[in-house]
Amino acid sequence: MVSGAIALAFLPLVLTFIIRYRYYFVLFYRAVLVRMWYDCKTGLSREERAFQYVLTHAIPGDPESILETFDLWCSKVEFISNIGPKKGKIMDRMLSEHCPLTVLELGSHCGYSTVRIARALPLGARLYSVEMDARNAAIAEKIIRLAGFDDDTVELIASPSDEVIPRLRADYGLERLDFVFMDHWKKCYRPDLQALEGSGLLGKGSVVLADNVLFPGAPNFIRHVRKSGLYEWKIHRATLEYSKGIRDGMAELVYQGIK
Amino acid sequence: MEVVGEEDGDTEGKRKNGRSKKDEKKEDKEKVEKKQNKKNVETSSEHESSEEEEDEEEKEGEEKPDVLSPEELEKLKEEVDERKKLISTLRGKPWPMRKKLLTLRESHEFVEKYEGALGKGKSRKLTKWMKFQRDFENFKTACVPWEMKIKEIESHFGSSVASYFIFLRWMYGINMILFGLTFGLVMVPEALMGRPYGSMPRKTVPRADEANAMDFAVLWDFGGYAQYSVLFYGYYNSQRAIGWLKFRMPLSYFLVGVGTVAYSYMVVIRTMARNANEDGGGDNNSFNFSWKMFTSWDYLIGNPETADNKFASITTSFKEAILEEQESRKDDNIHLTRFLRVLANFLVLCCLAGSGYLIYFVVRRSQKFALEGLESHSWWERNEVNMVMSLLGMFCPMLFDVISALENYHPRIALQWQLGRIFALFLGNLYTFIIALMDEINLKREEEEVLKLNMTIWEASLYNGTLGANSTAPPITVHPADIPRGPCWETMVGQEFVRLIVSDTMTTYITLLIGDFLRAVLVRFLNYCWCWDLEAGFPSYSEFDVSGNVLGLIFNQGMIWMGAFYAPCLPALNVLRLHVSMYLQCWAVMCCNVPQERVFKASGSNNFYMAMLLVILFLSTLPAIYTIVTIPPSFDCGPFSGKSRMFDVIQETLESDFPAWFGKVFSYASNPGLVLPFLLLMVLAIYYLQSTSKSYKQANLELKKKLQTVSHTVIMSSYLSSPPGGEHRAHQGKSDHQIPPSATSPPAPRGHRMPGPLPGNQRQPAPSVQRVPNSQRH
Repeated sequence: MVSGAIALAFLPLVLTFIIRYRYYFVLFYRAVLVRMWYDCKTGLSREERAFQYVLTHAIPGDPESILETFDLWCSKVEFISNIGPKKGKIMDRMLSEHCPLTVLELGSHCGYSTVRIARALPLGARLYSVEMDARNAAIAEKIIRLAGFDDDTVELIASPSDEVIPRLRADYGLERLDFVFMDHWKKCYRPDLQALEGSGLLGKGSVVLADNVLFPGAPNFIRHVRKSGLYEWKIHRATLEYSKGIRDGMAELVYQGIK
Repeated sequence: MEVVGEEDGDTEGKRKNGRSKKDEKKEDKEKVEKKQNKKNVETSSEHESSEEEEDEEEKEGEEKPDVLSPEELEKLKEEVDERKKLISTLRGKPWPMRKKLLTLRESHEFVEKYEGALGKGKSRKLTKWMKFQRDFENFKTACVPWEMKIKEIESHFGSSVASYFIFLRWMYGINMILFGLTFGLVMVPEALMGRPYGSMPRKTVPRADEANAMDFAVLWDFGGYAQYSVLFYGYYNSQRAIGWLKFRMPLSYFLVGVGTVAYSYMVVIRTMARNANEDGGGDNNSFNFSWKMFTSWDYLIGNPETADNKFASITTSFKEAILEEQESRKDDNIHLTRFLRVLANFLVLCCLAGSGYLIYFVVRRSQKFALEGLESHSWWERNEVNMVMSLLGMFCPMLFDVISALENYHPRIALQWQLGRIFALFLGNLYTFIIALMDEINLKREEEEVLKLNMTIWEASLYNGTLGANSTAPPITVHPADIPRGPCWETMVGQEFVRLIVSDTMTTYITLLIGDFLRAVLVRFLNYCWCWDLEAGFPSYSEFDVSGNVLGLIFNQGMIWMGAFYAPCLPALNVLRLHVSMYLQCWAVMCCNVPQERVFKASGSNNFYMAMLLVILFLSTLPAIYTIVTIPPSFDCGPFSGKSRMFDVIQETLESDFPAWFGKVFSYASNPGLVLPFLLLMVLAIYYLQSTSKSYKQANLELKKKLQTVSHTVIMSSYLSSPPGGEHRAHQGKSDHQIPPSATSPPAPRGHRMPGPLPGNQRQPAPSVQRVPNSQRH
């Protein structure tokens, strides 16, 4: 039997772990435990709860207010992996710099980033937003319409990204994508990027922005980008949305084409 | 390298061609066919021909200069230079190979012939000598153990990690010598010439323990046969001279004990002094940014990832330096920072006190266990002390590291605090252990007193019993295993230290295997099927913890110094441990660690490590000397048994082995009347030397300042004297392009003619003086 003193000697280790990884524990608590608790309590999905909150607290037709309400809910009540206000600012800046006319968003989740992009788009631009999950897509649709964007500005496509990308040219009459935002499954980053390269929709100067490349992280994606030599790329370092201590980053790739 | 080699080969080939036609053709073919392998072939044949050539050359060298006039010499020189240039550019010429070879040969011949004539007759001989020297240097480097390994690590991890391995190697060297001393002068003589095992009670396993004296568990605890062997103090006999060599065993034992410590002091202090010399003095605070700009790249890095890291670290260091500058100008909530720092120190103190108490508690409990008899307790309970000490020594530094994040210090200062705290922790642990050991020694000595009484009773009963039965009184023969014996506290102390070392080593290796290797394996292979990026995110690969490892090494050495007197096997064990950890850690670093995010230069902290080593050396010799001087040795074990103090052996030797006059001289010399003035003289000499060295340092600094001022004025004056356009451009911020040429080339002599800006010149030093308090604030 291990004696108590030896067990006590492990106390510093435990303390170290708790202190060093406190943000991860908090994240685990908020993203998993609280969510499970509310799921059982309300019987609704997390996105539906978020939508209810936004519907009751935000001003319809005002994207600003909707985004703020989302941020409030995500930081105070529950956790949803949106792009968040800080990284959102970086994205806003990039959008205003590039003024893209055709934007593809992979993974709209419940529409936060869609609203964020749509609000920064120039007149006449069009945003295609792809969401795999039908229930989430329905909520995203509602949020987008609530924010006051119509079908001409934002088109929501409710199917998996790997099916949508090859059909973009044929079904949606796209010639070129100016801006691609990736925030869906981290495992799909690389295959989707490769599909985009293969479809020929990326032209010189097209920007691909990938969220969460450090945490949860998309190592294969980064490796591919580094190796392929098709892009000029950099990583904007920031922290994970609605959390202070977890480091995360967004990868900004500018397509250069084959030299 | 290869290029040089080839050219060398060509040169050599040409020399021989001059002498015989046959050779020439052969060489030519070879040259064309296998240029790559040429070097070896040529160098092997070089030695045969070297003597003749030198003779020729000397003749030429003697003749020519007498004939030539200065103008001709000048011309010749030019020609030679031309040829040399031709040789160097020959490779790029669009000529056929044959022509190239011919030209090469001719120009080589020419250069050699006339360069010799120009008064450099001995040049080839010299180059040969230099080549030999270079080869010899290479050979010497190849002989330095683990040089390549360390270089490889340095190239991947930067100099800070490599400094640990260099330190480890240095430590290994010292331990090698300690091991040589104890092994050659103590263990081997006793094993070869001393009385064999089983001849005396102290050299025999007692009857009660005989049954399981060979069990692995017992041997692993250094009991049983291991305890009754040359590995420990108790085995040694107090016989004055052993074997046909009349080897003075007790004296040798004592002198080796003193000698190891003295040698260690000498080496540490010598190394410190050498390091201090290399430092050269000077302030590191002025020209911070330009130093960073021009000298921050570590040219030993040879791996792209590390280079990336270094790049990142330089960028961050720039950012940090800029931030530091900004911070030193504004004070933000200084009260909060102070409060946090106090809080952090309080937490650390709590942690230290807690760990100290835990060790104290465990030690007391182990004494209780020992009184009750160890057999009734589990393995965990028996090894509790060592386990707890190792675990605390491992985990508390991690906690300190986390706590120090509160303080918001500059990382360099944070590292020093961290080192200081770990030092305090280790020291506390070590001294708790020693104090507990002292208690145990006192217990054992009481036990011994009781046993001495019993011994006489036992002997009396033995004699009485035999006398009663048999009045002729033959020599009583009792098997040595049956004779009662004292507890022998010295062996106990030695055993404790050996156990501590072994368990410490085991913990280090196990942590390495689990914390580094297993983690790396998990991270690497689970990453394929995990929901987040394990490599970049949460567990990641471990970094090499330089400070912890260095301190571990230092304290380990302290324990060796402390325990080596009572367990001569300790240096041997330590050599083994260092050897294994050299390979194991090299491997672990290369295979499962990632370079630190902030690769910092280690050169500055080397003497810091040494100073710690010195302190530990002092602190570890204290208890050893205390026990040697104050506690009488056990009566029935060890080389000093029967004496009232261990150092009596010196007196004994003086009296019996040296002529009488020597003893007299010694007694005079040890007279306080002589010793005190001598000590006084030494103190004065130290004071004198120190003040001289201080003044030299001062002078050095002054010279440095002077140099800076001179160069500064030179730059300034060159600006002022340059045409207004240039000045204007310089002021517009293109000074990057302006400064270098004016700083290095022609204007330089101008400074010497100037009236001489003295160190008192206020223009230059002023900013640096201002800067010092700023950057030392944190």
